[in-house]
Amino acid sequence: MIDLSVNLAGIKLKNPTILASGIMGVSAASMRLCQENGVGAVTGKSIGHEERTGHHNPTVYSWGQGLTNAVGLSNPGVDACVDLLSEMKESLEIPVIASCFADTVDNIARVAEKLIEANPVAIELNLSCPNTESDFGLMFALDPEATTRAVTQVKKIAGNTKVFVKLTPDGANLVDVGKAAEAAGADALTATNTLSGMIIDIRTKRPILTNKFGGLSGPAIKPVSVRAVYNLYKSVKIPIIGTGGINTGEDAIEFIMAGATTVGIGSGIYYRGIDIFKKVTNEMTLFMQKHQFHTVEEMKGIAHEK
Amino acid sequence: MKNNEKPLILPIEQIITENDRVKTFVFEHEMNFKPGQFVMTWIPGYDEKPFGLVSRVPGEFMITVAAVGESTKALHAMSVGDLIGFRGPFGSTFSLPDAGSIALIAGGYGMASLFNLAKEAREKGIDVHVFLGARNKAELLYLDWMKELGTTLYLSTDDGSEGFKGFNVQVFEEEVGKQIFDKAYTVGPEIMEMKVADICYKNNIPFEVSLERYMKCGIGICGSCCVDPVGWRMCVEGPVIDGEKLKEITEFGKYHRTASGKVEGYPWAKISRN
Repeated sequence: MIDLSVNLAGIKLKNPTILASGIMGVSAASMRLCQENGVGAVTGKSIGHEERTGHHNPTVYSWGQGLTNAVGLSNPGVDACVDLLSEMKESLEIPVIASCFADTVDNIARVAEKLIEANPVAIELNLSCPNTESDFGLMFALDPEATTRAVTQVKKIAGNTKVFVKLTPDGANLVDVGKAAEAAGADALTATNTLSGMIIDIRTKRPILTNKFGGLSGPAIKPVSVRAVYNLYKSVKIPIIGTGGINTGEDAIEFIMAGATTVGIGSGIYYRGIDIFKKVTNEMTLFMQKHQFHTVEEMKGIAHEK
Repeated sequence: MKNNEKPLILPIEQIITENDRVKTFVFEHEMNFKPGQFVMTWIPGYDEKPFGLVSRVPGEFMITVAAVGESTKALHAMSVGDLIGFRGPFGSTFSLPDAGSIALIAGGYGMASLFNLAKEAREKGIDVHVFLGARNKAELLYLDWMKELGTTLYLSTDDGSEGFKGFNVQVFEEEVGKQIFDKAYTVGPEIMEMKVADICYKNNIPFEVSLERYMKCGIGICGSCCVDPVGWRMCVEGPVIDGEKLKEITEFGKYHRTASGKVEGYPWAKISRN
């Protein structure tokens, strides 16, 4: 008998798949569609202080080995989203993780405080969106000190809500930032956000995305994210949500063997459809049956063994 | 697994001026789309927007665009040979009965999304009745092409400059009392689509509607075009929705979401999300 259930920082998930933040938007309806398709938990789109329309299109496109996006943190603003988060909590049976961003450490704590009123099981601090540098400057997650301050402030007001930190693969110091987040009280780490990149269309002689730069996701970044999870697992005790290019159950297991407790899925919805969560969990079950694993925990970090 | 939605960059082959506000842009490429599908159209330096696909002859397709905002005005200012990017075709498609008679109720540029349905229906020997409405005579799209296909046209204009003075929905309702339609299809302003839906429900006419929502990715991941309460993505499960399924979309005719994801009610509807 295969048991796919996992415990993520005290949160019980029926399976290790989590909808990554920014995918499927901000409505309770779209989260329900993911629930119907077997997801273990959902992460809402990152919410900021005020309403943002994001960047002009093109904001997302498929370049062959993955996707690139610069949606630009569009969201209706935190005040509209507190009710929305409550609606999600009421209408969903699976855990709901909120996500937030802001321009300064103080502001991220303000946004988080409002979202925590709706009592999500966890709040993910998006300290690493690569697409808003012109608006907000460099991401906090490149700086262990800023990460420490953000996590410390949010932890003070978080109550029962767990605090997750989403890390960037862009800096050389991902492990240092992860350790700083853990020391400041973070309950889990999401590794990783998209990888900054750029694609130029040579016919029209210009970058395709309106923002010029975008976050790479999908199959191309999987090895980068697996390495990030592997290195973090050696250095931190808190659980890791492995995210980046997961399309199959085998991909998910690769992340778990690197040390992830759960896996985030985003671009995979494009590659395999909205039922990717069912597909990934079915494929995980088949692999586990064949290789005599009974629980996800048995596979966690196994790639570290000599 | 797919990875074929890289932008296709094509030069404009021909520009047809439909009227003061509307132009049709023709491109040489076999788009392989089905009636009802759309294409994300990149106007380099400005924006990328969804437009209904039209094709009159194999190896060629076109989009019909009204100059209403910055990007569509920029497109109108372009010339033959200028480059446009396309991703697609995307979305669900209309389905025809095997035989009989169908009604197409189109408002404004809704006709663009219905043209190839009319063409395919005529090729199958189905009678096609087109209820085309616009603000004035100049804005009635594709009249010659629709005549060429052998459709029966029922025209209406707000100002009475051509055909019936009033709404196409009124003409359709009157015809529903006189003849049998095996299926109806509607594309246009949502308030018009709502009225068509009401008429079809009352008269037990199966129908399909194309529902427009703000789109970003076009490939089913950003969630911008998800509808309440079912969460269907109008770029994947839509834009073409069957009348029975439409009953589950409670936001239809009431509200939509803007680029930020905020709920915005239609002026004619009171917002009630529950």
